[in-house]
Amino acid sequence: MVLLQLFLNGLQLGAIYALTAVGFSLIFGSTKIFHVAHGSAFAISGYIYWWLASKLGVPWPIATLAAVIAAAAFGLLMERFIYRPIQRHEASFFTVFIAAFGVQLFIQNLIGTVAGRGMETVNTPLSRSVEIMDGLFVAPISAISIVVAIVVFTALSYFLGRTHIGIAMRALSENPDLVRVFGLDPGRVAQYAFVIGSAVVVPGAIFTAMTAGLNPAIGTHVMLVSLAATIVGGIGSVRGAACGGMLLGLAENLAYWKLDPQWSEAVTFVVLFAFIVFRPSGFFGSPTAAR
Amino acid sequence: MLKSRIAAALVGSLMVFGAAGNATAQDTIKVGANLPMSGPNAELGEIFSRAAGIAVKHINADKMLSKPVELAIEDSQATPQGGVVAMNKLVSVTKVPYVLSAYTAVSKAIAPVGDRAKVVSINGGAVGPDLAELGDYFWNVIPLVNFEAEVLIPFVVKEKGLKNIVLIFVDDPLGESVQKVLRAEVPKAGGKLVGELQVPRAAQQFASIAANVRQLKPDAIYIASFGTQVNQIVKQLRDNGVTQQLMSYSAMSTPSIAELPEAKGAWYTTQSADFTTSALGQRVAKEYKELSGKDANAYVANYYNAVMVFGILAQQLEKAGKPITGTNLLEQRRASPNFDLIGGKMAFQQNGTVAAPVQIQEIDGTGTGKRIK
Repeated sequence: MVLLQLFLNGLQLGAIYALTAVGFSLIFGSTKIFHVAHGSAFAISGYIYWWLASKLGVPWPIATLAAVIAAAAFGLLMERFIYRPIQRHEASFFTVFIAAFGVQLFIQNLIGTVAGRGMETVNTPLSRSVEIMDGLFVAPISAISIVVAIVVFTALSYFLGRTHIGIAMRALSENPDLVRVFGLDPGRVAQYAFVIGSAVVVPGAIFTAMTAGLNPAIGTHVMLVSLAATIVGGIGSVRGAACGGMLLGLAENLAYWKLDPQWSEAVTFVVLFAFIVFRPSGFFGSPTAAR
Repeated sequence: MLKSRIAAALVGSLMVFGAAGNATAQDTIKVGANLPMSGPNAELGEIFSRAAGIAVKHINADKMLSKPVELAIEDSQATPQGGVVAMNKLVSVTKVPYVLSAYTAVSKAIAPVGDRAKVVSINGGAVGPDLAELGDYFWNVIPLVNFEAEVLIPFVVKEKGLKNIVLIFVDDPLGESVQKVLRAEVPKAGGKLVGELQVPRAAQQFASIAANVRQLKPDAIYIASFGTQVNQIVKQLRDNGVTQQLMSYSAMSTPSIAELPEAKGAWYTTQSADFTTSALGQRVAKEYKELSGKDANAYVANYYNAVMVFGILAQQLEKAGKPITGTNLLEQRRASPNFDLIGGKMAFQQNGTVAAPVQIQEIDGTGTGKRIK
């Protein structure tokens, strides 16, 4: 029964990791921008939801919509006012990284100053587990997070495969110049990537606010997980990032079955290193030959 | 031409501000603070620095010293590396004789720096028992966890009959210190440590820890962590079906834990810090509430007291015509180890740690909770 409990815990956590990783993978895959500030979109949307739903008593659909708008706006602003000016001057990857890292630190401190430095949670009965079988506890939020993750991935897959903008985003990741030849504006397509990639983290942020709680530094942790899941899943593959996130969530929890708890996070990185060594292209990335 | 004029103006401004800064530095006595002002432990850093700020204000308002005192805060981020960088800056650049410290791992990292430079570090938040042995220049104005456990464990095991205890502890010197203390104290009281679950410092998910705890079937759970991780552990244990008694040391005395519905009923130890029984306590509690909107707690008392100890010792040094240096502060403390501050009379022992009474609080959803022993 313990193993089943750990598996269910892993599915819930994996769903949250997958939602955050997919956003990062979408942005990085489309634009090749290492968006280290992706964790800030998570933190901003989580705190907006917490502030509206918990502090002001706003109904959850409105609070969710506001969180989505806030995350999307953050992504858009980052693309428009941080990354695009840097890329216009053909700055290096390192410049982009430092700029994004600086923004993340700024957002972390801004949240701490405005909302306080302590942990904040959204109090909801959805996070309380119910014993459904002897020794097996499941919270309603677990089922909700898995269902939402499936719905989001399905919608995203349809969008990327069947809509003009989605196809353009995939084209951008392969050949930005050719996108221009076909009359599309790469800058505009990149904006869509940032808006959608940032909005996709919102469900994960809300579920985290309800379960583990928020703190101003949560963006850093989210970013590390997103990065690991993107590498495991294959850079540029949204489907891969989703699978990578799910795998990491499961690994982190199943590790408790046989290992001491302090090894749970190390297991995440063992999985990551195993993929780097044995399958560097990840689950669904395309292998490339060294020249 | 215009660019060179702008550059000259900028350089000139910098020189003026630099000179003004230097003039200010010579006109004040600086006290350092090596506290976590960012990261997951920033809530505590904010509490500590606010309390220290109130003490500085009182020292200056009461004109205790010949020059105003100024607090120089550096961000340790609650990590040993961050603490050492901050300490080096305070010692070598800001040149303070006295530094406020927090967190066991940070304190152990900075103690050799202070010892070499003969700068006093004083801890008001960390509780690892090793902190009593970090040298002459490391002082503690808080009872260490071995004293806290000596009060809590017999109460839990003997008086409340909760014999089987699970320990959840952070992978950090503090966590390992508590593990050592509980391994000694729990059997001594007639109880049994039925599980020891060590969690990574950066861990945020504890649903599976809750599953482990349920399997162990304890009567009570002792949480040895700090910062927002304590809140996360408490919430996720309760959310995942753990209904047993929760307890901890003074790390549970933060406002965010006090407001957490899942923490209601949890017990924790702190040193006795009654703000209502003395005029000083009432003054500090009132000002802290005005500043932060929250009730004062034991940490506020500790860091207020830590700065006041400096103020009192420095005043004695000035009266004796001696300069305010770490070495002189140490000698003065040895000569006059007794202080009457928030919490009542306290005395520094030879090893630089205060002996102070310890109380057990229960979180009841109101401010700092109610005292149960």
